[in-house]
Amino acid sequence: MAKKLKWFMMFSSFLCLFLLGACSNSASQSKNNENESSNNSSEDNTEESGPVEVSFWHAMSGSGQEAIEDVVNDFNESQDKYIVKPEFQGSYEELLPKFRSVGGTKDAPAIVQTYEIGTKYMIDSGYIEPVQSFIDRDNYDINQLEANILNYYKLDDKLYSMPFNSSTPVLLYNKEAFKEAGLDAENPPKTFNEIKEAAAALTKKNGSNTERFGFSMLTYGWFFEELVATQGGLFVNNDNGRSDQATEATFNSEEGLRVFNLLNDLNNAGHFGNFGTNWDDIRAAFQTGKVAMYMDSSAGVTDTIKNAPFDVGVGFIPYADETERQGVVIGGASLWMSKGISKANQEAAWEFMKYLQTPEAQAKWHVATGYFAINPAAYDEQIVKDKWAESPQLKVTVDQLQATIPSVATQGALISVFPEARQQVVTALENLYQGGNPKEELDKAVEATNKAIEVANKTKK
Amino acid sequence: MKLALHDTPNLSLNPKTSLWKQTQKARVAFLYLLPSILLFSVFIFYPMFKTIYLSFFLTDQQGEAALFVGLDNYQDLLTSQSFHKSIKATLLFVLYTVPAGIIIALFLALMANEKLRGIGFFRVIYSSTMGISVAASSVVWLFLFHPSTGMFNRVLNLFGIAEIQWLLDPDWALFSVSVSTIWLNLGFSFLIILGGLQNIDEHLYESARIDGASYWYQLRRITIPMLSPTLFFIITISLINSFQTFGQIDILTKGGPSESTNLIVYSIYKDAFINYQFGTASAQAVVLFICVLLLTILQFKLGEKKVHYQ
Repeated sequence: MAKKLKWFMMFSSFLCLFLLGACSNSASQSKNNENESSNNSSEDNTEESGPVEVSFWHAMSGSGQEAIEDVVNDFNESQDKYIVKPEFQGSYEELLPKFRSVGGTKDAPAIVQTYEIGTKYMIDSGYIEPVQSFIDRDNYDINQLEANILNYYKLDDKLYSMPFNSSTPVLLYNKEAFKEAGLDAENPPKTFNEIKEAAAALTKKNGSNTERFGFSMLTYGWFFEELVATQGGLFVNNDNGRSDQATEATFNSEEGLRVFNLLNDLNNAGHFGNFGTNWDDIRAAFQTGKVAMYMDSSAGVTDTIKNAPFDVGVGFIPYADETERQGVVIGGASLWMSKGISKANQEAAWEFMKYLQTPEAQAKWHVATGYFAINPAAYDEQIVKDKWAESPQLKVTVDQLQATIPSVATQGALISVFPEARQQVVTALENLYQGGNPKEELDKAVEATNKAIEVANKTKK
Repeated sequence: MKLALHDTPNLSLNPKTSLWKQTQKARVAFLYLLPSILLFSVFIFYPMFKTIYLSFFLTDQQGEAALFVGLDNYQDLLTSQSFHKSIKATLLFVLYTVPAGIIIALFLALMANEKLRGIGFFRVIYSSTMGISVAASSVVWLFLFHPSTGMFNRVLNLFGIAEIQWLLDPDWALFSVSVSTIWLNLGFSFLIILGGLQNIDEHLYESARIDGASYWYQLRRITIPMLSPTLFFIITISLINSFQTFGQIDILTKGGPSESTNLIVYSIYKDAFINYQFGTASAQAVVLFICVLLLTILQFKLGEKKVHYQ
């Protein structure tokens, strides 16, 4: 027996040794990395022959990817000191964990595109160099940029990342369906009640099947956030987390409940089409005439107009009848500069970011994708004017943004657990469509979000 | 592995020989095992212990252990409604996919085992799903299930039946995902079972035919018993596989709607890589590990008795 025990001890101590070996290996490796990176940066400083090559991680697929590669090529050809290499790294959700695994090391890409709700996370991560330090150094004038977009990304008057692709939600509708239902196709519904009336008129039934739904909304937290914000409602406390760390979610307020009640009423009346959580599904439903009105990102407007076999109208997102329209919160993504990479690489990233803000680059980007021009001077460029003449709907998206009243509500919430909050809203919406009680579902989502916020705040250093 | 190491010295138990000599066999054995132990330690044991370690902590945004909470993560799981839903969904999913998948694969393999002209073509077709990646086939299924342009709903429309929200209705979503999973795993199960069938000694059937046994009698008395090791293997593998299903879920439903397809592995992924809660994710992983372990032990205890090895 004793012998057995001895053997067991020996064996387990061997195992422990291996484990320790594995642990210390990785630890010493990361130390090596640090040394290397400092070596590298000094090397980079001394020998500056040939262009500096930096990688740029982005999450744009499809036509967005073509457009972004186009813009990057223009930059590479415009000068010979830097070469930016665009690398597609999957969706925003997939890109972030990848960045996390290399963040802070010399292997990190110089430029990373991160979606708007990752802003707080990136600031807290410590992996990034605030662009404000370069703005201050060069006295770069950021006031040329769209104020409503800067408002979102500024925290304590400091700009951490460079805004890049910005979008807002808009209401898209089928003009032919409007005419068929006897509605004014040039005058889309503006308030929740008008949406309900229009949806009732637009819904077409054939026995038990609904041939056309009046209204739909992608089951995605962003649209809910926007509908709350346009009424002036806050998503979390402490001024949407902008005056202090947010400690509680507040989207089960009156404003949030109004949104849920609207969707619930539409759904119960059979005027609401549920097309799930996939952007392509709801777009296909609109293209095939299965739904007459829906909300989409302004970045999807160009494609939708191009693909739809009918006339597409674009309107502002609706607001509750009891309130005034406050406007929209910026969505999309911004570009971040990595920390821990060499000075020369940061310099390259900074040059690229500055290039992106030029009216020419922005005009090209806006026309190709439908994302906003961060630099409003781009709207005076000829290619934008031509495009707007061709599809005036694009202008509506810009009008909506510029009509936005700046406030903490329309600045948008800052919390690090945003992805989780969105999941909770999605679950609440899904339950609602299955006949859940609006108030109960909303309260449940808030409760779960609160728990996530609490955990995140507890573990914050 | 461990057992072998403990037992070897006892086998050559001789009080007079020195410890060094006594352990000779064990040391040699250990040398042989060294490469695999090394690999296992790095890729299995270390992550496993790290997972257990992390499950006692709340992690910060970098995924480092930040706050020791003891068993709180486990306690939260046991009281969490969404985890209960997750367990229920996983068990249902296993129930939907494993028996149906194996029965269909067995049926196809029995047919493909007949000696007919051109049977090779059918064997290739039946096992072809093995060559398709989860991602690619899931995207194809996504089109089939599409709410407005999907083929299934068009067929239903043709017959005047009300459309079904395949992936959007919580009552249907798990079923839809199961159907695509069964189809996806069919190729592998088919191939393994066909291999097992081909290994059965032809003489057994010949003798049975001489005795005048019917097809069904042969199937019941010869094919199934002779096939039992293969079936046992494929049941175990399918069971573990379906507990670990991830790809289809991620592409088809992302765990929705109303968390109805939020299988444990997907829930772990979501907690760890979207919400950065590695603590709760690790706790779930440990629970899943224990469940699969218990189930496999149970299966070996109950199932192996019925298995007939040649």
